[in-house]
Amino acid sequence: MMRKRLFAIFSALLFSMLLTVPVSASGSLPRLVDDAGLLSDSEEMDLLEELDEISERQQVDVVVVTVNSLEGSSAMEYADDFFDYYGYGFGAGRDGILFLISMEERDWFVSTTGYGITAVTDAGLEYMAERFLDDLSEGNYAAAFSTFAELCDDFITQARTGEPYDADNLPQEPFHVGGSLAIALAAGFVVSLIVTGIMRGGLKTVHSQPAADHYVKKGSMRVVKETDLFLYRHIDRREKPKESSSSGGSSTHMSSSETTHGGGGGKF
Amino acid sequence: MAAIQEYKCPCCGGAIAFDSTLQKMKCPFCNTEFEMDTLASYDIELQNEQTDDMKWDTDAGEEWQDGEADGLSSYVCRSCGGEIACDGNTAASSCPFCGNPVVMMGRFSGTLKPNYVIPFKLDKKAAKDALKKHYDGKRLLPKAFKSQNHINEVKGVYVPFWLFDADADVNMRYKATKVRMWDDSKYHYTETSFFAVSRGGNIGFERVPVDGSAKMPDDLMESIEPFDFSEMVDFQTAYLAGFMADKYDVDDKRSVERANERIRQSVEDAFEATVIGYETVTKEAGSIQLQNGKVKYALLPVWVLNTTWNGKNYLFAMNGQTGKMVGDLPLDKSAYGKWLFSLTGIIGTVVFAASYLIWLL
Repeated sequence: MMRKRLFAIFSALLFSMLLTVPVSASGSLPRLVDDAGLLSDSEEMDLLEELDEISERQQVDVVVVTVNSLEGSSAMEYADDFFDYYGYGFGAGRDGILFLISMEERDWFVSTTGYGITAVTDAGLEYMAERFLDDLSEGNYAAAFSTFAELCDDFITQARTGEPYDADNLPQEPFHVGGSLAIALAAGFVVSLIVTGIMRGGLKTVHSQPAADHYVKKGSMRVVKETDLFLYRHIDRREKPKESSSSGGSSTHMSSSETTHGGGGGKF
Repeated sequence: MAAIQEYKCPCCGGAIAFDSTLQKMKCPFCNTEFEMDTLASYDIELQNEQTDDMKWDTDAGEEWQDGEADGLSSYVCRSCGGEIACDGNTAASSCPFCGNPVVMMGRFSGTLKPNYVIPFKLDKKAAKDALKKHYDGKRLLPKAFKSQNHINEVKGVYVPFWLFDADADVNMRYKATKVRMWDDSKYHYTETSFFAVSRGGNIGFERVPVDGSAKMPDDLMESIEPFDFSEMVDFQTAYLAGFMADKYDVDDKRSVERANERIRQSVEDAFEATVIGYETVTKEAGSIQLQNGKVKYALLPVWVLNTTWNGKNYLFAMNGQTGKMVGDLPLDKSAYGKWLFSLTGIIGTVVFAASYLIWLL
């Protein structure tokens, strides 16, 4: 009886150590760390499986981390350090993409490293964020992370072709059947109104003549006085809109362990 | 002692003062600055303005000579009350305008003898053919109207017209703007320059026709214009043989207004067309002085056709000289609905397919 109990305590301790304490460098921490406890067990399993599959296949670590608090650091520092200290990343470049969310201040941050910087450009990240932020804000964490993972897969595949998704080369929006059909029908209706309006107009041939141009004596018009007098001028000045920096590429920064990271984040 | 000259701001209309630091006139209300000379010239322009003078010497028509109108008979329509004249050998049984029976009045009498007439050049058959052609190509015309259509009457009618001749002295003033745009590194600039533009001159009008018959709708008569007045001849009763003549019942003094309207519009269009090189041109003021305004009375040839369909009378008119056919036709509402519906479907589908193709590319 006693032995059984001891064993339970021991194994629980061991398990919690595995979860929270890093076990040296070589990527032994799972690719999903749900410290904030946002996912159910089955969601956790599915997502981890997805992340592992994508990471192994692409040879780029795709990691999702949730925490309750950033413990005083910025989201960027925390994400970079998490990636660096727990030894994520494939190969010499430590290729990887880490998605961090912190519940305390509702921060999210995507930290890219090595090939991850190439695959996820600034514009690309903006595009990604548009797709997962709604789910994130509404608390559909599993859906948001899954979308993130799929997008990473897609972005890395695209980057391997030599042309990563960037400002002038973003993935195509899906075709909106309903919206396009409504617009097309509205346009069709307006054009039809004009066409049938012309046909209706053909039925009406009785119109008053507004002028008497036909009865002007030929060559009788003479202009004898022409003065064009300048009076005054007004100058309007309008500020130019700020040029949006659509230069493309990825901006990078240095983490505390002197590793180059890219990425970006915000609030959700 | 010089009189104190007060100027009004051409921009906002406020009283304007001299700004001694700028050495310019500056409006205290809208802050617009002006050169002194500009305001002086502008003021002269304003003072030159006159009001319209569009008077006519209205003594159109002539008195009938003794015995000249003897061969004409007069009829009165029981329905619309119109009086028509016919050559003694032409019997009229129904009114050309409304199709109702007419009664003989006896000998033609009264009013004025026309100065001129344009004789009929086209016959009744031409008028009927023209009506058939008038129906062609009109997809929204009810089919039943075409097939069940019985022309009640086709009548050649000399319609009384007043012809207005005049020379016009014109003075027009416009406010015009020129726009220049440029950019520097921080701003877009739009400079609007305002000008006072004056145009003066003259223009002549010859035989502006105004329908003198109350029974003939004015817009119907204006729609069969123009007539070729070079073929106009002095009036002889002989021209009326086989046709009807309507007597004027709108006199020339009442028709003046319509003539003036059309002349004014033409004058304004013609002079505004000489103001070029500006972005916008707005008429500010203008005057038209008519000289030698004369009015003549003429009979012009019109084929009048009328038909009744679904209890409604449809009146068509053809210019008896040029063959121009006009007349409003009824609308087939169900055909209209079908066209609208199917066109919306077809065009909508095409646009939808095109938008999908563009998306694919």
